[in-house]
Amino acid sequence: MTSRAVTTGFALIAMFLCVSASARPVSYTGGWTVIETSNRASTAGLLHYTAAYNLSIGARYEWQRGSDTRLKAIQPTFLAKRWFGKDYQGNLYLTGGFGKANRGVDGSSISETASFAGVMADWETRSLFVSYEGRQLNLGKFGNQTMHAARLGWAPYEGDTGALHTWLMLEVDHRKHFDKTTSITPLLRFFKGPALLEIGYNLSDSSPLFNFTYRF
Amino acid sequence: MNKAITFIIATLLSAPAWSDHGNEAADHHAKPEMSHADMGHDHSDEHDHASHETESDAPHASHDHSGANHSDMGHDAHGMTMANASITHTDDIMTALTNGGEPVVVDVLGVVCDFCATAMNKIFGKRDEVAALYVDLDKKTLSLVINEGASLSDKQIEKLAKKAGYRIAAIRRDSEAMGG
Repeated sequence: MTSRAVTTGFALIAMFLCVSASARPVSYTGGWTVIETSNRASTAGLLHYTAAYNLSIGARYEWQRGSDTRLKAIQPTFLAKRWFGKDYQGNLYLTGGFGKANRGVDGSSISETASFAGVMADWETRSLFVSYEGRQLNLGKFGNQTMHAARLGWAPYEGDTGALHTWLMLEVDHRKHFDKTTSITPLLRFFKGPALLEIGYNLSDSSPLFNFTYRF
Repeated sequence: MNKAITFIIATLLSAPAWSDHGNEAADHHAKPEMSHADMGHDHSDEHDHASHETESDAPHASHDHSGANHSDMGHDAHGMTMANASITHTDDIMTALTNGGEPVVVDVLGVVCDFCATAMNKIFGKRDEVAALYVDLDKKTLSLVINEGASLSDKQIEKLAKKAGYRIAAIRRDSEAMGG
């Protein structure tokens, strides 16, 4: 796929899918959210505060296990657009970050300035879910990384308020810097009140997925 | 990727961040503002208006209903009709009603998950005026009971919903909120 095709596809997805991200990276005004993600590439934590209905500011720590790279960054996220309907909601978020990355090389730790930019889009009803996420991470002399991930989800039942909500999901991700560039992860999402838990298994890389989000 | 992000940012920053049903939003801005009565609000004599006071001790009659841009609220005229769901009966709500609270039912757009309900609970639950509340994902409504002697205008409700990240489609009060 040429870079122009990727660019065009990326823009089209964001513009016309018009759809949010799995963990809702912007909460209600004055709310705090802690998000943990662990997948085939990294284990990461994000603590953010929602300053306005369309803006959150957070601190991110990410450990890329394969290269033993540790990223610490400030991460603002902007809700660029939210589409409302009686039975659906769609969201488009823009995010970015700036910080430092450390990697152990020959017994010593080398530090590099790091930055990233990303887009997240989702659309969901009470029983259907579609999302897309893309991120470009620049790690200076450690190299650049591009990630795309898309999800489809289906809820076998519509849970009441405060009840346990269950989703069956399938995630496809693409990471150019990996040997297996494309991978598939089936996962289960459990949702109850302010807590969200996702458990999955990456079929291509034989690695677990474990995500957790809590709002307070 | 960088080109794509630049393109998306430029496009989005030139567009409003909130929309409901795309062009329909533009349509209802063009319509004449709906009267309060058009919303189906029933300020009948079933409760003591004189006893409803705002934070500034203003009487109920002085509520700023006109300040809420009703034409912005996705009423029936925009094909956004929600069945006129009545208040959800929980123990807290029934107790608050028994204590003389005013029932209010708010149709909310985009309430599809428990995070949405949590957000509404957090934002509205902090208000002293609110005696009880419940977000009903089936009906897509926020049921409120306003403390006797307190009030929450349509505009205030709309603002609070926006703080929670949502948009309201309609507000019903009193007998209509009770399904009457």
